[in-house]
Amino acid sequence: MTEIIIAIVQALLLMLLAPLVSGTARWMRAKMHTRRGPSILQDYYDIAKLLKRQDVRTQHSSFVFRLMPPLYMGVLLILACGMPMITRACPIPVLGDVITIIYLLALPRFFFALAAVDSSDAYSGVGGIRELIVGVLVEPSMMLALFVAALATGTTNIGAMGEAIGSLSVTSPVAVVVAAAAFALACYVELGKLPYDVAEAEQELQEGPLAEYSGPSLAMAKASLSMKQVIVVSWFIAVFLPFGSATELTIPALALGALVFVVKVAAIFFVCSIVENLVSRVRWKYMSRQTWTIVGVSVLALVFCVLGI
Amino acid sequence: MTGYTLVNILGGALILTSMLVVLSKAPRKAAFLYAVQSLVLISLFVVLGMTTGSTELYTWAGTGFVTKVLFVPLAILFVCKKMGDAGAGLEPKLTPVKSIVLIAIEVFVCFVVVQGIDLPTAADVKPALAISLAHFFIGLTCIVTQRNIVKQIFGYCLMENGSHVTLALLAPQAPELVEVGIATDAIFAVVIMAVVAMRIYRTAGTLDADDLMELKG
Repeated sequence: MTEIIIAIVQALLLMLLAPLVSGTARWMRAKMHTRRGPSILQDYYDIAKLLKRQDVRTQHSSFVFRLMPPLYMGVLLILACGMPMITRACPIPVLGDVITIIYLLALPRFFFALAAVDSSDAYSGVGGIRELIVGVLVEPSMMLALFVAALATGTTNIGAMGEAIGSLSVTSPVAVVVAAAAFALACYVELGKLPYDVAEAEQELQEGPLAEYSGPSLAMAKASLSMKQVIVVSWFIAVFLPFGSATELTIPALALGALVFVVKVAAIFFVCSIVENLVSRVRWKYMSRQTWTIVGVSVLALVFCVLGI
Repeated sequence: MTGYTLVNILGGALILTSMLVVLSKAPRKAAFLYAVQSLVLISLFVVLGMTTGSTELYTWAGTGFVTKVLFVPLAILFVCKKMGDAGAGLEPKLTPVKSIVLIAIEVFVCFVVVQGIDLPTAADVKPALAISLAHFFIGLTCIVTQRNIVKQIFGYCLMENGSHVTLALLAPQAPELVEVGIATDAIFAVVIMAVVAMRIYRTAGTLDADDLMELKG
């Protein structure tokens, strides 16, 4: 019962706090450009304003266009229920399988690209296809890195993987460290930050896959994108950085786990913001080079795993 | 965690650092990374010394620190300073991904080969032995794929580190005299190669091995 409460609470908190995370990232970006920039609550203001506006659709769009925002958010809420955030084990173990998570992340991405093409806007279609290319390239490398971790820990449940790594009982620590590095790179691509971001009007005329969305749909899609960032980061934390999370379900342990989780997420996003502001957007042609590097590092991790070190 | 497990883990760290030496483009950066790798090598000697109770290994660690962590990187840095930023833009012949995968394959093949070795001293440290053997091939990879002749010197140094680890693993009680041979070998080889590289640069004005074709028959 406690687990289910934790699952629901963390999913709701994620939905409420995700715009704060992306708002802070925008604020930091402005500070690094020595601009005054928006308030860290700006994303809440944006969402509140969008929710009041009318939802407009293009004439030739189909149900996919309407379906995408709620589907995206729904899938992320399901993922948030299964993700070990403040606890070390999965609150809902059936949702904590690596393969389930990868496919659950692929589903909204597919619909995201499909909706972009469906909106019958040429520019948005191009943006959607770019998103799909990122997905196609990053998912196999992500899987490879996680499979090495699964081999080293002997399980595909991320809670159990975190348990094995957190208690330092893995037989091949070097393999896990190298796999963690590969997975961190893959997660960074998955975060959708520069140089792999969703093209927005911020820097160019092409507005990206969300060009034709408006009103509550756009609000939902924007909130989902920032939720996804937090989900991906907590996925990495759950598997490779589970130190400090609550191993038992008592109030002090959970409180400490929550505090440590916030600190870890903040630290990771801080590093990501710095990286994000040092690079420019990558051309899709060159993206495969970087994802191949992730594959190479994963292969090295696999060899270390075979060696047993 | 036993001492031998730690030796194997440090062996893994050796592979990672040598991979970084191969991947880094600028010789200056490679020199610093090589110093880091030698430091890992020294700690491997110390751990192995503690595990096997061999006092000789501490002497190895001491001499290794002076020659490999300090002398060799400083010699290369001196060469880099003399030649300015020459050769930093020379791309290796393999892309980073291919290099990483090649190194992984080499380590794996060496591990398979080492399975056939049945020595009482090597029973617990088979992964580390495979890694020391693989260093020979990683060094060779560095020499073959790099176009910058200063970077090729590091290939030699990596091979030499590998033979050092093999010796320490298989004969931890070997006297210091054996070690002197290896240590002096490293110093003289690096000094001679560094001087030759500098003279080549002065005469030919390039560090690209592909351009140095004048003696080709």
